[in-house]
Amino acid sequence: MKKKRTASKILWVLSILTLIFLWAPMILIIVFSFSNNKYGSSWEGFTLKWYLKLFTNDQVRDALMRSLIIAGVTVVIATLIGTITAYGLYKLNFKGKQFLRTSILLPIVFPSVVTGSALLVFFTRFLHIPLGYPSIIIAHIVFCSPLAVFIILGRMQRFDWSWEEAALDLGATPFRTFLRVTGPQLLPAIMASAMLIFPWSFDDFVITYFVAGVGSTTLPIYVFSQLRFGATPVINTIGTLFVSVTMLGLLLVYLMQKRTKTGS
Amino acid sequence: MQASDKGETINESDICLEVRDVVKRFGDLTAVDHVNLQIRDGEIFSFLGPSGCGKSTLLRVVAGLENQDQGDVIIAGRNVNDLPPYKRDCNTVFQNHALFPHMTVTENIGFGLVERKLPKSEIKEKVAAKIDLVNLSGMENRRPDQLSGGQKQRVALARSLILEPTVLLLDEPLAALDRKLRKEMQIELKRIQREVGTTFLNVTHDQKEALSVSDRIGIMNEGAFLQIGTPDEIYENPGSIFVASFMGATNIFTGNVVSQRDGKIELETSDGLKIFAPEPEDQSGDQVSGFSVHPELISLKPETSGEPPADPTERTEFHGTIHEVFYQGDFSEFTVALKGTDMLMTVHLTRGRGYRLQLPEGQDVTISWDFTNSNVLRG
Repeated sequence: MKKKRTASKILWVLSILTLIFLWAPMILIIVFSFSNNKYGSSWEGFTLKWYLKLFTNDQVRDALMRSLIIAGVTVVIATLIGTITAYGLYKLNFKGKQFLRTSILLPIVFPSVVTGSALLVFFTRFLHIPLGYPSIIIAHIVFCSPLAVFIILGRMQRFDWSWEEAALDLGATPFRTFLRVTGPQLLPAIMASAMLIFPWSFDDFVITYFVAGVGSTTLPIYVFSQLRFGATPVINTIGTLFVSVTMLGLLLVYLMQKRTKTGS
Repeated sequence: MQASDKGETINESDICLEVRDVVKRFGDLTAVDHVNLQIRDGEIFSFLGPSGCGKSTLLRVVAGLENQDQGDVIIAGRNVNDLPPYKRDCNTVFQNHALFPHMTVTENIGFGLVERKLPKSEIKEKVAAKIDLVNLSGMENRRPDQLSGGQKQRVALARSLILEPTVLLLDEPLAALDRKLRKEMQIELKRIQREVGTTFLNVTHDQKEALSVSDRIGIMNEGAFLQIGTPDEIYENPGSIFVASFMGATNIFTGNVVSQRDGKIELETSDGLKIFAPEPEDQSGDQVSGFSVHPELISLKPETSGEPPADPTERTEFHGTIHEVFYQGDFSEFTVALKGTDMLMTVHLTRGRGYRLQLPEGQDVTISWDFTNSNVLRG
């Protein structure tokens, strides 16, 4: 009994330490983004001037817009590809299916440095894709679609496929069946993958850095370039922005999962 | 092996579904093996068999959810081999109901009519009528997860019936319900069928259900029909060892025919027991593999000395001892070890027929039954 208590105490301390390291940096960034201190590293009274500075800075605005556009396009295309791929992987039987299914994981497990440099060589030497939006978006789709495939495939494995048979049996063509039954049932999973892909694409640095070329500065690249001047308060505001976007995505996923759980 | 329909001929125009020489294989397994079947217009026909006998597969072939490897499916005189499920004039009630979870009761029932592009007002009218038919008033706006098992069943039934199919296919629709509810739904099913007049093709592994709801039953095993007939034919005169034991005639004597005269056929078992039975209609003793007798047709009484033995050609009489007693409530089941053999016979005594007799285990008893209660088995 006593031994158990010590173990539980140790576990508590470890958990709290983990949480501190997990949350403290982010909380500090958010707090200091509102601080009057010009190095953004201590509290000297509340201000919104760094945010004002952020939104009047053309470079930041450009980078933010670029990141939003890239993330937006990536979400739509990667989710679409992911849905179709998952459907095919689940429904069709073909040789090498298992291999294909596993190989789709590669972009997720490969080091970003490898994927990034490989894509750069591939784009410039072989395909002659101009660096900038096209190369960045293609690269983002490459590492984001697998996420959609796995989320949607996971849902499909728990899907009651007799719904599909029932719809066919009741006179719906395969297309109408997808539209009226399968699609709506997969929608939560499709939305969840979109919510997760958005922050993935929005804050990717390594791969984007390789394939961006000159003049296509995304927000993470901008942040990195500013670090030369030390951590400025503006960086804190950008950090706050990132955290907010990611948290919003996670919150939406959580709410949707809660809804589908009570729904079905 | 093919089923015989006891010489009955079905009028060509009365057939609403015909299956001709259908074969369905899954790899090395032949799930449906050269099956022929004719279903009459307006009847409840049950496929009855143990799990894995191919009954569901045959149903799915009729629905178009599986494609047969060979043979024809003809619905209302039309060969539907090349038609996908959404173009066939039959609808299915699935075992797990397969209700659409994101739709209300009304939307579920109206699903097929929307696909037929009927005007909204007509759909509303028809759905209301079906909700009334299956007693679901007040549930219109509920979603499937807010319904009980029996209510889901009714929605599934209404959803299929609303399309007025030539044949309604039911794939073990009651299997998931508890015993009491199952009984209720059997009565409901029959009432609804009588009301709408649609042909029902019901798949089940429950003997009692098949006997109580069906007009005719087809007993399936290993992908083929062993016997097709009315519930009483199937129950009282099982044609083969498999059908007899599947339908609960647990007393089966295997042996050889030793004599045939005066409309009686005599069997001698390997243990030397001699049993008489009425001669089969075709008066042939060929291929007879044994006799069966139902446990509820056997008399049981304590052995008394001095009574003259019965005429063995009229009444079969054996001596034995009570082996075990199983109390069942409405009846008691006795197993009796026959003297001079290693055979155990099962006897059911209902409360009306005196199961309160003091018959402890080990008691010497005499069991007997009229020769007309013995039933001839082939194969």
